Amino acid sequence: MFTLPIMIEQAVNGLVLGSMYALVATGLTLIWGTMKMLNFAHGEFYMLGGFATYFGLMVLGLPPWLVVPIAVFLIFLIAFILEKSIISPLMGKPGWDISTVVATLGAGIFLQNFAFKFWGGDFLNVPYMFDGVLRIWGMAFAWHRLYILALSLVVIITFWQVVKRTRFGLALRATAQDNEAAILMGIPFRRIYTITFGLSASLAALAGSALAPIFSVNPWMGMVPLIKALIVVILGGLGSFTGAILGGFILGLCESYSVLFLSSGWKDLISFSLLIIILVIKPSGLFGAKEW
Amino acid sequence: MAKISTSRLLIRLRVTHPTTLWGVFALLALLPLIIHNDYYLNILTICLIYAALASTWNLMVGYAGILSFGHQAFYGLGAYFSAIITIHLGVSPWLGLPLGGLFAAFFSLAIGIPCLRLRIAPYIAIATLAFSEILLVVCKNWVSLTRGEMGLSGIPPLTGFNLGDFLTVNFGSGSKIPNYYVMLGIYILAMLTMYWLMNSKVGLALKSLREDQDAAASLGVDVTRYKLIAFLVSSFFAGVTGAFYAHYLSILAPDSVFSVGEMVEVVAITLVGGIGTFLGPTLGAFTLIVGLELLRGLEDYRFMIYGAMLVIVVLLLPNGLLLGFHNSINRVRRLFQTGKGK
Amino acid sequence: MLEVKNLQVFYGDAQALWDISIQVQPKEICTLVGANGAGKTTLLKAICGLVPVSVGSISLLGKDLNSVPANERVSLGLSMVPEGRKIFTGMTVEENLKIGAYVNKVWTRREDLLEQNYALFPRLKERRRQLGGTLSGGERQMLAIARALMSQPDLLFLDEPSLGLSPKFVEHVMEIVRSINEQGVTIMLVEQNINIALGVAQRGYVLESGRIVMQDSANALLANPHVKEAYLGM
Repeated sequence: MFTLPIMIEQAVNGLVLGSMYALVATGLTLIWGTMKMLNFAHGEFYMLGGFATYFGLMVLGLPPWLVVPIAVFLIFLIAFILEKSIISPLMGKPGWDISTVVATLGAGIFLQNFAFKFWGGDFLNVPYMFDGVLRIWGMAFAWHRLYILALSLVVIITFWQVVKRTRFGLALRATAQDNEAAILMGIPFRRIYTITFGLSASLAALAGSALAPIFSVNPWMGMVPLIKALIVVILGGLGSFTGAILGGFILGLCESYSVLFLSSGWKDLISFSLLIIILVIKPSGLFGAKEW
Repeated sequence: MAKISTSRLLIRLRVTHPTTLWGVFALLALLPLIIHNDYYLNILTICLIYAALASTWNLMVGYAGILSFGHQAFYGLGAYFSAIITIHLGVSPWLGLPLGGLFAAFFSLAIGIPCLRLRIAPYIAIATLAFSEILLVVCKNWVSLTRGEMGLSGIPPLTGFNLGDFLTVNFGSGSKIPNYYVMLGIYILAMLTMYWLMNSKVGLALKSLREDQDAAASLGVDVTRYKLIAFLVSSFFAGVTGAFYAHYLSILAPDSVFSVGEMVEVVAITLVGGIGTFLGPTLGAFTLIVGLELLRGLEDYRFMIYGAMLVIVVLLLPNGLLLGFHNSINRVRRLFQTGKGK
Repeated sequence: MLEVKNLQVFYGDAQALWDISIQVQPKEICTLVGANGAGKTTLLKAICGLVPVSVGSISLLGKDLNSVPANERVSLGLSMVPEGRKIFTGMTVEENLKIGAYVNKVWTRREDLLEQNYALFPRLKERRRQLGGTLSGGERQMLAIARALMSQPDLLFLDEPSLGLSPKFVEHVMEIVRSINEQGVTIMLVEQNINIALGVAQRGYVLESGRIVMQDSANALLANPHVKEAYLGM
């Protein structure tokens, strides 16, 4: 059972899964780093990305290369509006550290049940965007999964470049490091918050869209990614991008290999146990959060 | 971490006058004399269950400032523990109630001690949520103990007894009134314990924690110890409530106690009623549950409404209904006063 | 140039500033002195828009600032070197400077402005690729000042620049302040160290417990008996 081909296949699966965890987690840590807030509706942006993809591909019959960008953009807009109407007013008031958590929780619950009521609770199938399998050396890799891996690498690198080199990225980092000083530089921090929130949701939506063919689309599909993303973020260190990305891959690999030992019901315990371990040993995570 | 302005804090932390408290207890005790319908009594009992859960959650969050998203864990632990020991070990359900509470309290130490070092709200929320989710997974998969998703059935109801020669009290499924009073008793006990706690030195310490943990620590307040006390009291009564629930319904499934849905209800109820106020969660429980019951046709929309309520309340009524009433009454009072004195 | 009238500022329910009225004339170096906790930083923060104002007005070149959000005041010509420098420790020296030129009116010219400031602060040029967090206290002060200059302000605030610096360095900083002023920038210097402040400024205000108790030319203040006793230890 533990032959080299299987180990490699599981490694690739782990990396594919891990890259999605990395995307979703990066979104969460982006918001935390900049706004010092935790978005409990993050999973629902993932879910909406999945549903948008489903509607685009299955109901409207549009090609994937058109559906994915539109879906992501649509969720960006939804998140943008959510931030401006609900989160921004709360951030300005005392007790925002709790009120934003509760408000995003409420928004998430609302969206889940909205989807349930109006789009049904069934698991909706979405076709693979790339058919077929790559066969080398006795191993089989689905092209769609390789697409996912490539997509997330492209996105992660693009994102990294944006943060490092653009004016927006500079403003983002400044706001995250010292809000007050950033204001003194003339940075419109509220606008930065809104855009950041939208970007974060886009990352989640992209992941939802990519994974839709593999896990199917349903109203609750965002809950597990959210919890896993929360765990990855703590594992890697709240606020650290490197941590989110590496943490995502680590979790992906751990879960992928655990399938060889544990039955799927118990698989979820892996991520939770990792979380508890990190919280007990080094709460600031692998790459250290600035405060915990 | 953001701080709350002093005046708002003073409003929030004012503990109810004892008369109000006893008045509410009396009112609740008298309800079954007016309402005889079994269906409605059942709803009222459920209101009490959530009032107890929400009030205990409020102790942790509203008073001690521990943003726990894992309260449902204690509810479930108490429920399953009592159910299992009464079914398999023949223990009396009456014993199961406090034992369930103790079991939950014991676990609260397991999650409490690591959590206590975490100061930032999101960390505690995530850790407590994860703890609860772990329990959900274990409950669903440890089939030999819990029968997994099939759940437990045939949980013995509370044992009946005789009051003298003329009255036999039963707690089977048909006896809504006795069960109502037992839950009322649990609720009152919980409220009184918390009331006593809040008015003692412990309460003062907890209030200082809610205001500013670092300031409190620098004043010598043993932050850890007081948070643990809040955890223990809160989880104990949540566990007792869970045990009651198990014997009341006689059936139990993992999702009915350990799920995030329970947590959302508790959060919504507490916020709507008024977080940080003593009777707020109780008001919230009765309002939301009875309210949703009256809007029967909206059963489909129930959680959508809960979600929307969380957002709306947090935006518009951050102090919840209880203080909303209070503020409106004050406003009306002031309106009449400006006419006269000034 | 800057006019503050009857300003009152509250922190929650506690009043921090009572009826503050000051003026800063164009091209001068004006100073605000006072003991720790007197309210100096609060006043600067109010002018920059970081704390809300309950009563009173602030106007820059005749334009009322009350309705202008904090991050838009930079475009109007204000710039502040905050207390404790507040440089971005996770960003390089060059990035710190670039962010100083964030506002639209100067962003396109940032390369030129970078060179200008590197000429003024050669030490910073040496360390341009180093992270802000690796700089010494004095270098951070230089960085903070240079960063504030990147937006080409007409009015520059300095909040306690001497804090934590050696006397020699403080002198160096004051020289820089003088030369910036000579190039036409109006300066408002807030300091605990009255000797230094009055040595470089032309006019000064004394703030005690949230109130302006004295205002005069720097020389007159230096000679004033109350000032001498309370602040200069004579």
